Amino acid sequence: MKSVCAVALAVTIVLGGSLALASGLVKLDPALQPYKQTSGVSGSINSIGSDSLNNVMTLWAETFTKFYPNAKIQIEGKGSSTAPPALIAGTAQLGPMSRAMKGTEIDQFEKKYGYKPTQIRTSVDALGVFVNKDNPIKCLTLAQVDAIFSKSRRQGYKEDITTWGQLGLTGEWASKPISLYGRNSASGTYGFFKEHTLKNGDYKDSVKEQPGSASVVQGVTVDRFAVGYSGIGYSTAGVRPVPLAEKDGDKCYEADQDNAYAGIYPLSRFLYVYVNRAPSKGLDPLTREFIKLVLSREGQEVVIKDGYFPIPASIAKEELGKIQ
Amino acid sequence: MSSRARQLWHSGEPFIWLTGGALAFALVLVLGLLGLIVANGLGFFWPSDVVRLTLTDGRTVSGLLVEREAIPEGAGRNRVKLKVANRDLYGADFQWVDEAVIARRDHPRDVVVMERTEWGLLIGTIKEVRDGGRIVASGAEQGLAELERRLPGVALARREIKRIEKGEVGAINHAQEKIRLGLRRLSLRGVTSGPAVDSLQREMAVLQAQYTAEEARLVDLRGRQTASVVVAADGGREKDLPLLQVLRVDSPNAMSLAAKSVRYLARVLEFVWSDPRESNTEGGVFPAIFGTVMMVLIMSVMVAPLGVLAAFYLREYARQGTFVSAVRIAVNNLAGVPSIVFGVFGVGFFIYFVGGTIDRLFFSESLPSPTFGTGGILWASLTLALLTVPVVIVATEEGLAAIPRGMREASLALGATKLETTLRVVLPAVMPSILTGLILAMARAAGEVAPLMITGVVKLAPALPVDGFWPFVHLDRKFMHLGFHIYDVGFQSPNVDAARPMVFVTTLLLLAIVVLLNLFAIGLRNRLRRKYAMSAV
Repeated sequence: MKSVCAVALAVTIVLGGSLALASGLVKLDPALQPYKQTSGVSGSINSIGSDSLNNVMTLWAETFTKFYPNAKIQIEGKGSSTAPPALIAGTAQLGPMSRAMKGTEIDQFEKKYGYKPTQIRTSVDALGVFVNKDNPIKCLTLAQVDAIFSKSRRQGYKEDITTWGQLGLTGEWASKPISLYGRNSASGTYGFFKEHTLKNGDYKDSVKEQPGSASVVQGVTVDRFAVGYSGIGYSTAGVRPVPLAEKDGDKCYEADQDNAYAGIYPLSRFLYVYVNRAPSKGLDPLTREFIKLVLSREGQEVVIKDGYFPIPASIAKEELGKIQ
Repeated sequence: MSSRARQLWHSGEPFIWLTGGALAFALVLVLGLLGLIVANGLGFFWPSDVVRLTLTDGRTVSGLLVEREAIPEGAGRNRVKLKVANRDLYGADFQWVDEAVIARRDHPRDVVVMERTEWGLLIGTIKEVRDGGRIVASGAEQGLAELERRLPGVALARREIKRIEKGEVGAINHAQEKIRLGLRRLSLRGVTSGPAVDSLQREMAVLQAQYTAEEARLVDLRGRQTASVVVAADGGREKDLPLLQVLRVDSPNAMSLAAKSVRYLARVLEFVWSDPRESNTEGGVFPAIFGTVMMVLIMSVMVAPLGVLAAFYLREYARQGTFVSAVRIAVNNLAGVPSIVFGVFGVGFFIYFVGGTIDRLFFSESLPSPTFGTGGILWASLTLALLTVPVVIVATEEGLAAIPRGMREASLALGATKLETTLRVVLPAVMPSILTGLILAMARAAGEVAPLMITGVVKLAPALPVDGFWPFVHLDRKFMHLGFHIYDVGFQSPNVDAARPMVFVTTLLLLAIVVLLNLFAIGLRNRLRRKYAMSAV
C-alpha cells in the first residue's frame, strides 16, 4: 500500500510540476479548481466512519451547507472500522476512512451489491511519531519505532527498547523509561501504524490506548518521557514530530508536506472517503456534489484548516474521474 | 492513660471530629474540583491584554500570555507560552518563547483581537478598511472607528442570511423531502407515472423555483457585503479579511476594566446562546444544552411512572417473601451494571429491534436510510430511563416503607377501598420520596455519556429535535449533548491547546444545568412536603 501511495504521489509531483515549497505553512496547489455550484441539490446524507476524519468531515459539511443551505449532513465518527458496515447496510452514503478498506471488507460489499465500493483519496496525512517538545531526539528509524512500540519486533531490531538511553540520549534522559501512548483498536490510525510500522506485530501491553488522537498529543505534552503516534493534524506547540528514516543508514525526513507528497516520509498515507457508486446509475446528486466539493479548492482549504495536507490538483482530477 | 482515652471516647467528642472530618474531606474534594474547573474555564472569555515581545534577534511576537514554566535542565530559566493566534498565517496557534531571548515587552494600544467565523482569532494592527477595492479608512485609529461603524450593519446582514438559510430554505427543504418520500412511496407501490406522480413533480418544480429565488436573494445579500479589513500581523504578514467574517473586534490593551467586563458577559452569553462553529472548537454550545435538557426531561417522563408503578407493586400489593426479596436485590444490583451495558442493550433492543420494526412498518419509503432504526433522542432517553429506573424504585420503596401503617388503616377504616387509599393517601405522602429518586436519576442521566455515544449522540446535529415543522417534536433525530461535547472537544479536537478551555467551560455549564434541574425538583418536593405536612395533622 505504502509503495503504491509513494509511487502515485511521486508521479503526481512530476506531472503536477513544481509545487510551492512549504516551510511550516502548508501550501495549496494553485491548479485546484474552485467549486462550481449547481442547482437541484437537496436532501440529507449520512456519513459514518473514521474519527481522525471526523473534524474535517464536519468542516466539509459546514462548507457544503454554505453552498447548499437546503442540504443536511449527519456525521458520526467512531472509527474507520464502522464505515464499511454502514456503507453495506446503506445507512451511510459517505464512509470516511483513515486507512484503505481491507480485502474482506471489499468482498462483503461486493457480495451485497455486485460491484466494488469507490475509493476517493481526499487528503494526505503524515502519521507523526510525537515526542515532548523538550525531547532532544533527532531521528528514529522504523525499526527503532517498532522496537519501542511492539513486543514482536517484526522489523528485526536487535533488542527491545525501553529507555531513552537505548536511543542514544544522554544525561537525565539516558535512564528514563519510555512511556507509550497510542490509539484504541477501532481507530484507523491504530491499524495503519500496526500494519506499516509493526508489520502487523503486536503492540506492547504498556501502550496507553487513548480514545482520541488529541488525547495522545495531550499525554505526550504533559509526560516528558513519552512517545505517541497520531495524525500530523493534531500537532500542537507542546509536542514535536520526530523525523523518521525508512531503514538504518537512510536519511531522516521531517513529517512535512513535501516529504509526504514525495512519499519519502515513511508513514505518509492518504485519507479516504468511500462511496457506494453503482456503475449503471452513478452517484446521487447530493453525494456527488459533496465529493466534488471535497476535491475542490474550497474543500482542500478545509483540509489545511484541520491540519492535514491537501491533495495536488492531478490527484483531485483523477478522483473526480471516478465519480463522473 | 487508658482510662482517660476511654473517657474521651465515651464523651463522644472523637466521633464528632471523625464525622466532621469526613464531611470536610468530601467538601474539600468537591470544592477543589469545582475550583479547578472554574479557574481553568472562566478565564477563557476574559479579553486579556496582548503582549508584544521583541526578541534579541529583532523579531516581534505578539499574543496572549497563557502559561509560564521553568525549562527542565535549563538552569533556572523560564519560558512563556503565547497564544499568537492567526492560524492561517503562522500555521499554529501557540508558540513557546524562551525568556532569555526576550529583549523587551510592551503592550501596544493599537493592537486588535478579532473574532472571526473561520480560522480562530486574528491578532494584529488594522492597516486599512476597504470597500470594493477602494480604501475607506487607513491607519489603526481610523480603521477601528470605521470597523465599529460598519460592524452592526454586517452583523444584521449575517443574521438575515442565517434567517433565510434556516427559515425559508429550511421550509422548502422540508416540503421537498416530503414530496421525495411521497414519490418513493408511490414507486414502491408500482406507480411511477400518472396524475399522482405528475402533481407531486409539479409541486417539486414550484418548490425548486422558490428555492432558486431564495438562493438569488442570498447571493445578492452576500454580494452587497464588499467591505474588508486589512490587518498587519507580526513578521510583515498581512491578512485581507472580508467584514462578513468578522464577528467582533477588541482592542484589549486600550480597554478599561468596565469595558472588559461588559465584553466578558457578552461573550459568556454568546457561548450559551449561539451555535458551534469550526467543527465545535469555536462558537457556542446552544444545541448541546438543548439536547441535554430535552433528553433529561424525556427520560424523567419515562422513568417516573415506570419506577413508581413497579415500586408500588413491590411494596403495596406483592406478598413479601423470598421472591420479592430476590426481585428487590436484583433491582438494587441493576443500579451497579456498567452504563455501557445499558447502551448495548439500547442499541440491540430499541434501535435494531423496535426501531427497525417501526421503520419497516411505517417508514418503508425512506429505507434503506433508517428513520427510527438508528440512534435518536427517543432511544437515548429510553436507554437512560432503564439505567436510572432502579434509583426511582429504591427511593419510592423507601418512602412507602416509611409511611405509618396507621395512615393506611385509618383510610380503610373510613370505608375507602384499597385503590382509593393508594391513590389518595399513600401516593401524596410518598411524592417527596419519588421526587428525591427523580432528582438522583436526573443527575445521573445528565452526566452519563458512554451509553449515549452509541444510541444517538452526534458531534454536530444539523437540526434541533424541536422545530417549526409538523409534528414539531422530532424524537427520531440525533442530538448533541454537553457530556459528549466535552469528550469530543477534549479528545478529538485537532487544535487541542486552543480548545482546552472550552472543555472546562462546557463542564461548568453541564454542572450548572444539573444544579438547575435539581433545584427545580427540590423546590417541587418542598412544596409537596409542606402540603403533606398540613394534611397529615
